[in-house]
Amino acid sequence: MSITSLKPLNLTFPDTWWRRNQMWVTPLLLLLPAAVVFTIFVIIPIFQSITLSFYDWDGINPKKWVGFSNYTELFGDEVFWKAIFNNIWWLFAFMLGPVFGLALALFLNQNVRGIRLAKSLFFFPFVISQVVVGLVFGWFFNSQFGLLNELLSHFGVEPLALIEGENTATFVVILAGLWPQVSYCMILYLTGLTAMNGEVIEAARMDGAKGWNLLWHIILPQLRPATFIAVVVSVVGALRSFDLVSIMTLGGPYNSSTVLAYMMYEQTFLNFRYGYGAAIATVLFIIMDVYIAFFLYSMLKREAR
Amino acid sequence: MAEVSLQNVRKSFGAVDVIKGVDLQVNDGEFCVFVGPSGCGKSTLLRMIAGLEEISSGELKIGGKDMTKVPPSNRGVAMVFQSYALYPHMSVEENIGFGLKMAKVPKADIEARVAYASKMLQLDTLRQRKPGQLSGGQRQRVAIGRAIVREPGVFLFDEPLSNLDAALRVQMRTELSQLHQDLKSTMIYVTHDQIEAMTMADKIVVLSAGLIEQVGSPLELYHRPKNLFVAQFIGSPKMNVVPAKVAAVSGDIAHVSVDGGSMLALPLRGGKVSVGDVVSLGIRPEHMSVSSEGVMQATVKLAERLGSETMLHLSGPGGAAIIVRSDGLASEKPGDVVALTMPAGCCHLFDAAGIAIVNGALI
Ligand SMILES: Nc1ncnc2c1ncn2[C@@H]1O[C@H](COP(=O)(O)OP(=O)(O)OP(=O)(O)O)[C@@H](O)[C@H]1O
Ligand SMILES: [Mg+2]
Repeated sequence: MSITSLKPLNLTFPDTWWRRNQMWVTPLLLLLPAAVVFTIFVIIPIFQSITLSFYDWDGINPKKWVGFSNYTELFGDEVFWKAIFNNIWWLFAFMLGPVFGLALALFLNQNVRGIRLAKSLFFFPFVISQVVVGLVFGWFFNSQFGLLNELLSHFGVEPLALIEGENTATFVVILAGLWPQVSYCMILYLTGLTAMNGEVIEAARMDGAKGWNLLWHIILPQLRPATFIAVVVSVVGALRSFDLVSIMTLGGPYNSSTVLAYMMYEQTFLNFRYGYGAAIATVLFIIMDVYIAFFLYSMLKREAR
Repeated sequence: MAEVSLQNVRKSFGAVDVIKGVDLQVNDGEFCVFVGPSGCGKSTLLRMIAGLEEISSGELKIGGKDMTKVPPSNRGVAMVFQSYALYPHMSVEENIGFGLKMAKVPKADIEARVAYASKMLQLDTLRQRKPGQLSGGQRQRVAIGRAIVREPGVFLFDEPLSNLDAALRVQMRTELSQLHQDLKSTMIYVTHDQIEAMTMADKIVVLSAGLIEQVGSPLELYHRPKNLFVAQFIGSPKMNVVPAKVAAVSGDIAHVSVDGGSMLALPLRGGKVSVGDVVSLGIRPEHMSVSSEGVMQATVKLAERLGSETMLHLSGPGGAAIIVRSDGLASEKPGDVVALTMPAGCCHLFDAAGIAIVNGALI
């Protein structure tokens, strides 16, 4: 059968409104649902919270306008400064996430038997729930029947009360938080490493780059997108840390391990001080905004180069 | 100077033997081309010389020194990769100068060399660009520049032109030949391309399944192939091979009967055959011609008219596919039955195992 014996084709298309405008209408339509949901559940509540922070409210009685007094009280609150201070500790410690993540990724990025299993085991902490992570670490460090002291007793070391200690509790919680964070950064870097052109590394080896030089001049620059995400995610993770504090220490002892997010929760839902809680939320929001603006700025500047 | 010599070099990946004992001598300043079918081990062999693959056994010497276990950067070799392998985050000049920077060459010297190389490769106006902002040909030049500045004794190229379009490939081919003449360094070059191999090489190495089939100059391989594999691998379109039988031997002349054709008297020039031997008769397309009376009859299946010449695809006795290179204005058309002549001095004879008994008398 020759093609001429087929029915003639009509390859002209009608010139409709949709055909002329679909290039800009389609993205708009696709964006619409997300935009609506985001507005209702994120944008509007942000403004509601900020408004609420100027009121005194217990959730039942009528709200009372108090101006900035929630903020003045907050800045005079010792627990607030403790929380900020602890958040800064979280921030610093979480910067180890990308570092250890990269180290692990470099270590696991090789072709040997069983490496897939090893990779999934290292990724495991990220998969399991934060609640489980908190419980495991909490039990491990428990001073009376924790595994740590059990182990130490074999070496004749006196039992340690780390998670119960005023000066050490935060660090135990941070350690628990770092564990899944490292796995997450590791996965980010592993993906970046897999996508890298092996011949580029070989070319660098031919050019005499080894070890630290190879990492610094060739591998790290190519992992920049992964580093960017790893750092952003770690900073955000440190600033909004809440669940582990809530599971492991409830901010204690004596608020020594509290963080902004936990303090906000405590004031709002346990002490029923909605206005005060909203003020903490607003401060946290501003800190994150400043940080994100700084990061976006430096990223855009780099892109523009 | 930088001659490369391989002695009984082997490579296996686990249980798989990829290079099965290669002996090769590449002289200083020579342009040596590796050819062979896909998967025969060309890249592996090149990477072993570069130091990117470990040598399982055997010895590699570069410039007379044992380099078998020396790391890549200390072998005095530079490699140009098929994918160019430029550092994506570095500008053209940083790419070219990186090797020198690693070797802690003073900044001023690096600058001078990068300037020299960029000028030579016509990259001067592009020095600040990133690889992503370059065309394929320009990237290739950067990759070559990166090799040049290190002043290696040996350049290694793994199919460097295969990602370029046809016109650019022709241009880069002449540029590379020019580069070789200017630098006078040893170059080892892997390619799939017949024309690259024939035009650029001083020495061609034909590989097959991890072994060297033959080493020689392009014309030597073309006219005096040691076996059927080389005979058919070198040359495009490839050598015609028709089955034949030795009917009689008288002194130094063998009378060979082509299956389905007539008798052909071939001077043996020292080759040994016995009456009754089953052989293969090989002859290149340009050495056969269509005439009123010839050795065998064949039917024209297709005439490819290239302007300067016509490739006649014919079906010989017993359906053997034969290609004849004929005049650009040849009048034959599909369906014509023609007679083919085979001048005795152009014919090759191969024994049943494919080893050459007689090569043509052309060179
Ligand atoms: N890392 C490896 N592990 C196992 N086998 C390998 C490895 N690298 C290459 N091989 C095998 O070695 C053989 C030779 O590979 P090589 O890349 O040298 O071929 P080549 O001649 O360069 O082919 P091409 O012309 O397609 O580039 C192939 O059969 C390939 O499958
Ligand atoms: Mg190859």
